[in-house]
Amino acid sequence: MRTTDGVDRRGLLRIAGGSVAALGLTATATACGGGSGSGDGKVTIRYAWWGSDDRAKRISESIKLFEKKYPKIKVKKDFQPYPDFWKKFNTQASGGNPPDVFQNAIGFLRKYDAKNVLLDLKDQVTAGNLSMDNFRAGLATFGEVDGKLLGVPVGSNSMALVIDKPVYTKAGVKPEQGWTWDDLDEALGKIRDKTDRAGDSGMYGIMYLYDIYLRQQGKAFFTEEGLGFTEADLTQWWTKADKSIKSGLVADTKKVVQAKPKSAVTAELAAGEFTWDNFTNRYTDEGKSEYGLAPIPTTDGKKTGQYLGSLMLSASRKTKHPKEVAQFIDFMVHDPEVGKIMEYDRGVHATTEQYEAYQPSDPVNQEIAAYEQSLVDAGVLEPITPHPEGADICESAFLRIAEELGLGTRSVDEAVKQFFTEAKTAFRH
Amino acid sequence: MGTTVTHAPAQDGAHAAAASPRHGPPVAPGHAAVKRRARRENLAGYLFLSPWIAGFLLLTAGPMIASLYFAFTDYNLFDAPRWVGLANFQEMFADPRWRKSVSVTLWYVVIGTPLKLALALGVALLLAQQRRGQAFYRAAFYAPSLIGASVSVAIVWKAIFSDDAVVDRAQSALGMDVGGWIGDPHWILYALVALTVWQFGAPMVIFLAGLKQVPRELYEAAEVDGAGPWRRFWNITLPMISPVLFFNVLLETIHSFQIFASAYIVGGGAGGNACGPADGSLVYTCYLYIQGFENSRMGLASAMAWMLLLAIGLVTAVLFWSQRRWVHYEEAAR
Repeated sequence: MRTTDGVDRRGLLRIAGGSVAALGLTATATACGGGSGSGDGKVTIRYAWWGSDDRAKRISESIKLFEKKYPKIKVKKDFQPYPDFWKKFNTQASGGNPPDVFQNAIGFLRKYDAKNVLLDLKDQVTAGNLSMDNFRAGLATFGEVDGKLLGVPVGSNSMALVIDKPVYTKAGVKPEQGWTWDDLDEALGKIRDKTDRAGDSGMYGIMYLYDIYLRQQGKAFFTEEGLGFTEADLTQWWTKADKSIKSGLVADTKKVVQAKPKSAVTAELAAGEFTWDNFTNRYTDEGKSEYGLAPIPTTDGKKTGQYLGSLMLSASRKTKHPKEVAQFIDFMVHDPEVGKIMEYDRGVHATTEQYEAYQPSDPVNQEIAAYEQSLVDAGVLEPITPHPEGADICESAFLRIAEELGLGTRSVDEAVKQFFTEAKTAFRH
Repeated sequence: MGTTVTHAPAQDGAHAAAASPRHGPPVAPGHAAVKRRARRENLAGYLFLSPWIAGFLLLTAGPMIASLYFAFTDYNLFDAPRWVGLANFQEMFADPRWRKSVSVTLWYVVIGTPLKLALALGVALLLAQQRRGQAFYRAAFYAPSLIGASVSVAIVWKAIFSDDAVVDRAQSALGMDVGGWIGDPHWILYALVALTVWQFGAPMVIFLAGLKQVPRELYEAAEVDGAGPWRRFWNITLPMISPVLFFNVLLETIHSFQIFASAYIVGGGAGGNACGPADGSLVYTCYLYIQGFENSRMGLASAMAWMLLLAIGLVTAVLFWSQRRWVHYEEAAR
């Protein structure tokens, strides 16, 4: 009995000691798990993006092709919905463990450049691992900041008015290129009176739309350092918003909020919404009606203030495999097969190789292509400068405060004041 | 019998000395040995505790101290923290959204906690009576406490209180046309309150245990004196279970201050870093999360966290101070 007692205790201690050691080992193993590269010369790179399940399927298929062509490179996948993506990315990047290559957007270039997260891909272009040739409509320089190549565009998109076609037809509204904001209000009124919908989902918190509105007056939402408009400008825009909400031209914010993540258009609350043209695809999946594109209203009957935006692929400065990452980006933007697989999920293909490889056969994608071609042909496109650091927080605040206006918890003056206060804080930090 | 007893000590001593070498010389059963053994047992105890101690130091104490330091810095996770003194606290107090989050949280605590405890006590009183199927009811009422904190329940909750969902339709049928609670800047808070009240099972079980401790005789004596049910509740039950009530008030209050997951999920989906429509469900921890993880203001978020800790500490202190006036301890009465 006594002997067993002793053995037991010692044995237990040994087990306890063993577990502690094992814990330590697991910790090390986990820490190494994120690493890449192994003895056989194979290299693993991690690719992170945001988007729908549909996008994930297309990307997985593209990656399979890539791994077949480059058997020495393995691509690890990591994707989230948009709002979660940046939280995770931010945490990983600050911890020194960002993905090697990731999807990026114009609002984040300067932000992460200032934090030394992004790799300047110019060296890889010089080394011949990445080609910046054959980009359409001046997109090749879209991801350049201060002479550094920080993002490679994958597909262009542009703001548009995405509409529920049958509802517009029923109301007898036919938008035409060059129509004005007053024409739009009149159209929204007709829709409200003749159908069971509001005319629009409530456009006044969409930063990219207000940007276009400002550009029509020779201004812009952002300059390189801060905001490109005054409190008086915003008061005018949100006073217009207040009127539209109260008169029912746009949908009840309360209902729009609850419909999320569904769009107000596919939730059949509104007949239209200002958003990116390639979202027509998403709406077609999500809703029951037939969706199409209408032109952006103008101030002077001519200038729309539009530009081509684009999702990009960026690389981390921390990556141990810049060459492989560059090869991957090159493949994703130039390979014709990838163009066929992705279709217009990321926008209209940025390179001529992919643009020519994929000829849309369905009406939705045909309309998107025609829409963007019409913008290029009309010569209305403007250049866009990458947003300043803090722009993403401004965009969020803009959306939230406009929503508060719509819900009636803030007056126009209070809302404008609050936005400028928050913007100031965002740019300072 | 008597003989055995007298002989016993001597026998025992000899036996121990012979059989157990580690107990040392028979004359002095050994202070040193006992000490050594105690020390060894202590060591073993600490070894067994070591995973917890390591976890506490590495995962709780360390980060807490770090966050106390960050609270006085401007820290965006990427650049080294920059000392700013009290600037974070000044910014916090001047920020209308921070004040909004404080008021949302206070309303949540002030409305939710008493309602939940009242319901818990009420149901406990009903269940304290001997009835058939009591175990079933107890389990049924307790179940929401087990699952209530889960993400899926929060999602279901959101669906129940949305436009044209169950609650909206029931209300409309009764002629109360407020629409879905989730889309309303004011009503969404009550959806959260309802969610916490629904989880009254945990305090209920504690109340039940407390009620079982109240001596029957007190009730019998009171009944003989002609006290009605209300009188008996007020003058016997309540004072007798006041320690349990105090415990529940304390726990639920602290817990309510820390609400996060349900508010984040029920209020999620609103645009632009909001929590709920027009920040209707922007509870304190949600705003802390937004500042820390969405706006990358870790210094400010740390300051907010310490502010919350101070506030909870203050409320707890006030509750402890107040208990002298209303909590009745059996021991003190004797």
